[in-house]
Amino acid sequence: MSRRRAGSLGWNIVGIALFVVMIFPVFWMISTAFKTNGQIYSFNPTWFPRHPTLSHFEDAIHRQYFWTDVKNSAIVVIAVVAIALGLSFFAAVALANYRFSGRKLFIVLVIGIQMLPQAGLIIPLYIVLAGRHQVNTLTGVILVYLTFALPFCVWTLRGFVLGIPKELEEAAMVDGSTRVGAFVRILLPLVAPGLVATSVFAFITSWNEYIFANTLLHSGNKQTITVWLSYLYGGNRFVDWGEIMAASTLIAIPVVIFFLLVQRRIAFGLTTGAVKA
Amino acid sequence: MYIGLDNFRTVLHDPIFWHTLLRTLVFTAVNVGLTMVLGTLIALLLVRVSTWVRLLLTVGLVLVWAMPPVVAVQVWSWMTNSENGVLNYILTRLHVGNYFNHNWYQTTFSQYSMVTSLIVWGAIPFVTITVYAALSQVPDALVEAAQIDGARAWRVFKDVTLPVLMPVLLILTSLSIIWDFGAFTQPYLLIGPGQQTSSNYLMSTYLYFVGFAKTDFGIGAAISILMLVIVAAMSVVYVRRMLRVGEVA
Repeated sequence: MSRRRAGSLGWNIVGIALFVVMIFPVFWMISTAFKTNGQIYSFNPTWFPRHPTLSHFEDAIHRQYFWTDVKNSAIVVIAVVAIALGLSFFAAVALANYRFSGRKLFIVLVIGIQMLPQAGLIIPLYIVLAGRHQVNTLTGVILVYLTFALPFCVWTLRGFVLGIPKELEEAAMVDGSTRVGAFVRILLPLVAPGLVATSVFAFITSWNEYIFANTLLHSGNKQTITVWLSYLYGGNRFVDWGEIMAASTLIAIPVVIFFLLVQRRIAFGLTTGAVKA
Repeated sequence: MYIGLDNFRTVLHDPIFWHTLLRTLVFTAVNVGLTMVLGTLIALLLVRVSTWVRLLLTVGLVLVWAMPPVVAVQVWSWMTNSENGVLNYILTRLHVGNYFNHNWYQTTFSQYSMVTSLIVWGAIPFVTITVYAALSQVPDALVEAAQIDGARAWRVFKDVTLPVLMPVLLILTSLSIIWDFGAFTQPYLLIGPGQQTSSNYLMSTYLYFVGFAKTDFGIGAAISILMLVIVAAMSVVYVRRMLRVGEVA
């Protein structure tokens, strides 16, 4: 695009104003988490916390089931990432490099499944899981998340695998490497950025997921951390906003870290310069 | 027991289903429209600001993108809270009106204004960053040629930039339609599980309460299938385009 008005004062002011508006909710969450109750519950807000306090964070992490549910979320996330990555990598290689019967149907399903509205799948998945006694278990939730994570991971990884020139693998095999050897030494390292990107995706979706965790997990000690947070609103008149914002901040931190990670990784060119044209 | 199409008949004869469907379609149109227009405008703005402002905005967008929906819902209910929500304070101080103790969750319209602001806020980063990436595909030479020929900014956008962006905008719009049509977490939690009635259902919450919470699985499954059919119809564009991508490979 043109450089003609790039950096003009007017556009910069609009840009900064926009930044302030966009970031305000995030700022307000963190700011509230550090404020004393006196500053939180007044009509005239305090923009930056005066005499910042950590008491809301202490309340949040000492509330019942916080650590249990963080642990549950961690178990679910690790299982989903590991299984989704393992399965989707091989599926992606097959999809990218080999022709097989039913390939087209497979692609349609991989794309189509991602289109389904999750709310529409609550009942069928609930019935299936109830029949296998997997309601109110983390296993059930892991299976459900896999049905969403797998198609995405397969499709994304397929793109990464396609980006690797066939010549590289063939060259390795000509040089005496076995198919498996070429796979391990050539394909795997080159797909690594793709594996990072998809695992971060699987991590974020399963950490953030709410609908299925909420419908499938009933007991407080078996829930995930998003469900725990959604119950924090409480039934009584007094809403402890300081604690809710502190807990929200804590729950957002892992996602923010992984988001920043993936931003960097995806940017790397995969095989730039590996094969000369 | 096999009852044929009875569940579908029950659902299709229920005026609540049709009201909910209409409400959901309007809700989807407004959310997708706002997301796409604002997201694209911000992407165009990103091209025009200095490097450090672009960096600042990108960091902001990524942070917003990274907010888990349930967290965002909690922040929204705190900000729009009637007693000490910062929104009421800002609106009152800006002399928009007297919003002291104003309750944003009293009417369906007001409730969905809040839900929409939340969803659009959360959806903008993905659209902006994708469109911004696509903007780099617009050839500088073409833009300059159009300007030398005396084309105004709008003409340059419409005839040079837009055609290049079109495929990306099409995919983003299809995806947004699919996501917003099935939105559950934000309306369910922000309006409140206890505040959902037939006068403010969306398809997803309707399905949840009629089919799941009342354990009427037959009716629920019928609604699910109708919902899937509607989404399938709306996502044809997206799936076909993706398939073409798959075939090229």
